[in-house]
Amino acid sequence: MMKRFSMGLAWCAALMLIAGGWLVPSPAAAVKEVKIGVIYPLTGGAAAAGRELRAGAELAAQIANEVMDGIDMDMAKKAGIQSLGGAKIKLIFKDHEGNPTLGADLAKKLILDDKVDGILGCYHSSVTKTVSAVCEQYGVPMINGSSTSPALTKRGFKWFWRTTPHDKWFTKDLFELLDGLAAGKVRGVSGVKKDDLQRLAAACERTEWGAHVADLIKTLAEQYGYDLKKSILYAAKSADLSSEVRSLKAARPDVMLFASYTSDAILMVKTLKAQKAKPKLIWGQDAGFEKPEFRQTLGDNIVGILTRTVFLPKVADIKPVAGQVNQLYKAKTGHDLGGASARAFTGVQTWVYALEKAGSVDHAAIQKACNTIEIPGEQLVVPWAGIKFASTGDETGQNVLGSGLIGQYQKGKDGKIGLEIVYPFDLATADMIYPFPGW
Amino acid sequence: MDILISSLVAGLLIGSVFALVALGLTIIFGVMDIVNFAHGEFLMIGMYTGILTVQVTGLDPLFSLPVALAVGFALGLLCYVGFVKYLLRGPMVAQLLGTFGLMLFLRNLVLLIFGSEDRGIHTGILVGKSLDLGMGVIIPATKLAAAVLSVLSFVAVYVFIHKTKLGKALQATALNRQAARYMGIPAERMNALAWGIGGATVTAAGALLVNFWSASPYVGLLFTMIAFAIVALGGFGSIPGAFFAALVVGLITEIPGIWDFFTYTFDNDWMADVPMNSFKYTGVYLTYFIIMVVRPRGLFGWKL
Repeated sequence: MMKRFSMGLAWCAALMLIAGGWLVPSPAAAVKEVKIGVIYPLTGGAAAAGRELRAGAELAAQIANEVMDGIDMDMAKKAGIQSLGGAKIKLIFKDHEGNPTLGADLAKKLILDDKVDGILGCYHSSVTKTVSAVCEQYGVPMINGSSTSPALTKRGFKWFWRTTPHDKWFTKDLFELLDGLAAGKVRGVSGVKKDDLQRLAAACERTEWGAHVADLIKTLAEQYGYDLKKSILYAAKSADLSSEVRSLKAARPDVMLFASYTSDAILMVKTLKAQKAKPKLIWGQDAGFEKPEFRQTLGDNIVGILTRTVFLPKVADIKPVAGQVNQLYKAKTGHDLGGASARAFTGVQTWVYALEKAGSVDHAAIQKACNTIEIPGEQLVVPWAGIKFASTGDETGQNVLGSGLIGQYQKGKDGKIGLEIVYPFDLATADMIYPFPGW
Repeated sequence: MDILISSLVAGLLIGSVFALVALGLTIIFGVMDIVNFAHGEFLMIGMYTGILTVQVTGLDPLFSLPVALAVGFALGLLCYVGFVKYLLRGPMVAQLLGTFGLMLFLRNLVLLIFGSEDRGIHTGILVGKSLDLGMGVIIPATKLAAAVLSVLSFVAVYVFIHKTKLGKALQATALNRQAARYMGIPAERMNALAWGIGGATVTAAGALLVNFWSASPYVGLLFTMIAFAIVALGGFGSIPGAFFAALVVGLITEIPGIWDFFTYTFDNDWMADVPMNSFKYTGVYLTYFIIMVVRPRGLFGWKL
């Protein structure tokens, strides 16, 4: 009996030793790579966005892992994370297909099986919502680069940080533009009365993101004194939007507002054209409206359409570093950086800064680093003042230094269609086309 | 007023296409009393056939119709000879679950080959064109063409069934299989023919739809449901019934537009806030449900 007891004791001691060995923090130099789980929609309706996001994130990781000349960015000058002994960033991509439940499952797998040090994602706000809840549960840091539902940073989460400005700021920009049109502040446009733009109609896709945009449009329209005649929520997977478009047209709006993902944005504009809708302004809330597919598929039909965005190739004229990264990105994918890729890039870049500051892959250390991080604006490809997260208050985890742009599709001298900046007014790169020229 | 007329016209146009979708289902049911759950998947395959034909040959999407007819006929025959024939030996429940399995198989096969991305046709002589009837009533050319071709196909099948010997044999089999067999009609071949025609018509409808409706491997279910509702409304096995029921169902899907008309006529705020568009297909399913409860053989059905 006694013997068996002492045997047990010995086993316990051995176990404790082994376990103890695991618990002792490994020295920084021993970390060879930092694993970041990246959850994006690589297939499904938003697959086009997923490809862009992935390319942006991969490029950022490449720049962080190698020394690259000709890019004026701190992370391009060093190979790997210096405070971790030059550890490389390894991105593990997973595909959530736009499905929140699948996203949460993937997050669990990444945390438990792949033992990732952190998570990046997920584009769709609905998926970011469930994935961040999993991260919060397991105490794993998550940085979000491109989900813009305001609600995400209203939950007081301790393990969630968002670099992108959210929809409230973007939607406000739109109403500022409308007011600006009436006030004659817009470059190249004059003599517009507020009455000309009084009637609004909106169609938003009905997951987390679109539904929130619809709410914001409603609230802000009231605040700014516009008349929202019709607001429709539709399924982004709709294969036919003709009854929605007829309904919008029947409201006889001056301004049509959309929050759409890629395939539905294309379908929406095709249907608007087929139905000969002729509002004075068409504005898309980023996402589908600024994807390369949107431009390629619809060609000349989109001249005059506005979209809010966080990044345009034109930004390269203002920010040299954006131009340098854009060149690399174009060489890699054949496309210019867009809102999705630029923000995915910035997401990974933020991870690099957080890890550099933390000097460890310990989750608590990363958490502390995220809450105190400050990335100066000149390091970023996006036209923001920088990245600094609110660590208290009702916007916990939100970057407080971000800002948005509104671009308009115009045909350049070379016959190519591209986005010109029309808002903020002082950054305008071209005269705005007003009213929408029609089809 | 424009919204009302636009909606009614749109309802009738899409209803005509729905008629072609439901035709195959009602023929197969009429001839062999089998409910084909994979019906919508045939349509989905028709959509992909349309897209592939355009991509491979560079022809206008409208010319993909003959290809889709051939593919659909072959697919219908293949499904019957290779699969459904054996199901017929089993109990009713085996037939139900069997076509359900066929549905899952076809859907996942397409998913495997083409992936889950939405695909559509963005070029063609009709794409983006529309007819302006004045008063703000605008008919997209793709829809008009799809509706006209659907009606023509529908009439062709109707004439085939009622005027040709083969068609009459098919009808006889549907009326009384045993008696038809005594008259020397090869019931087995009639079954195969029903599946062939069923497959061909619904696949053709898919090829017409893809001009304005984007394709994905999951698109089938919606059309299976719509076809079920039409067949229930028009009477199981009834071909003229299916046509008129399809027009009614087409109009039901346009209820949101009719609602809008009243909203703007009365300038009513609460009506504008009702998200009618989100319930576009609810009316169709509700109709199906009510008919199933009140008159399970279908409104004008003659089969028990």
